[in-house]
Amino acid sequence: MKLIRYQNTPLYNPISSYTSLRDEMDRLFDVAFPALSSLQQESFFGDWQNEFPIDLYQEKDAFIARAELPGFRKEDISVEVADGILTITGHEKSETKTDKKESAATTRERQVTRSISLPEYLKLDNIGAVYQNGVLTVTLPKSEEVKPRQIAVEVK
Amino acid sequence: MNNLLTKKETNGAGQTTPRRTVVPRYQVRENVDAFVLTAWLPGVDRTSLETTVDGETLTVAGSRNLTAPESWTPVYREIPQTDYRLEFELDHRINRDGVRAELSQGVLTLTLPKAEAVKPRRIEIKG
Repeated sequence: MKLIRYQNTPLYNPISSYTSLRDEMDRLFDVAFPALSSLQQESFFGDWQNEFPIDLYQEKDAFIARAELPGFRKEDISVEVADGILTITGHEKSETKTDKKESAATTRERQVTRSISLPEYLKLDNIGAVYQNGVLTVTLPKSEEVKPRQIAVEVK
Repeated sequence: MNNLLTKKETNGAGQTTPRRTVVPRYQVRENVDAFVLTAWLPGVDRTSLETTVDGETLTVAGSRNLTAPESWTPVYREIPQTDYRLEFELDHRINRDGVRAELSQGVLTLTLPKAEAVKPRRIEIKG
């Protein structure tokens, strides 16, 4: 197991002292924050990260959830509400022949999913969703029970 | 290092809150004929996206109008209120006239064709 990363620092190698400051900075960051530098690897960028940001808004009679979900087709996105939890899933499977010489087509699959709990009970039959410019907007109407209602209280 | 290169947009008056710009997530791949740049710009539509090639510089600027109506009260927010800006320097390997852009559901695909001079070519041996 390698514990210390081998490096040619300019301190020990006069030839590499000609490398640019930027290279030096990049190397410094690689050493200091290895996890950070791995984020820049192709493999990470090749696939969409598994989670995506969601905004949740409240209106008088509905909740509105907005999710950043770029690059999907409309039919690849599913929205589910069960037990007060909203789950948004994007699932994409694409087959691309990268090279004519390659006989086998490469299959790329990506799935992202995110669940958020909703503060109140909802009407489950009137949920609407719009997907535009890579942003999904889900409108979740509140059920009658949770709308503010006047209750007459008898005072004895 | 990319984050150091982003420009902060401030307006002269300084009264309204300035919109921050960030470098979007992007990826550059190379194939035989072109370099393909993919940038993830959720919330940017065709009209608010500007892709320009000015001399050596390729600029992708996208503003997003994800404003919430007044009647919406945020319960929680995770989507940053930022615009996107991406700048590249093009070198001699790219044919500037043939740059194509395509935007689909918040994903921008820029095809930067290679200049004829750098494409691989077979050289016939005479004699």
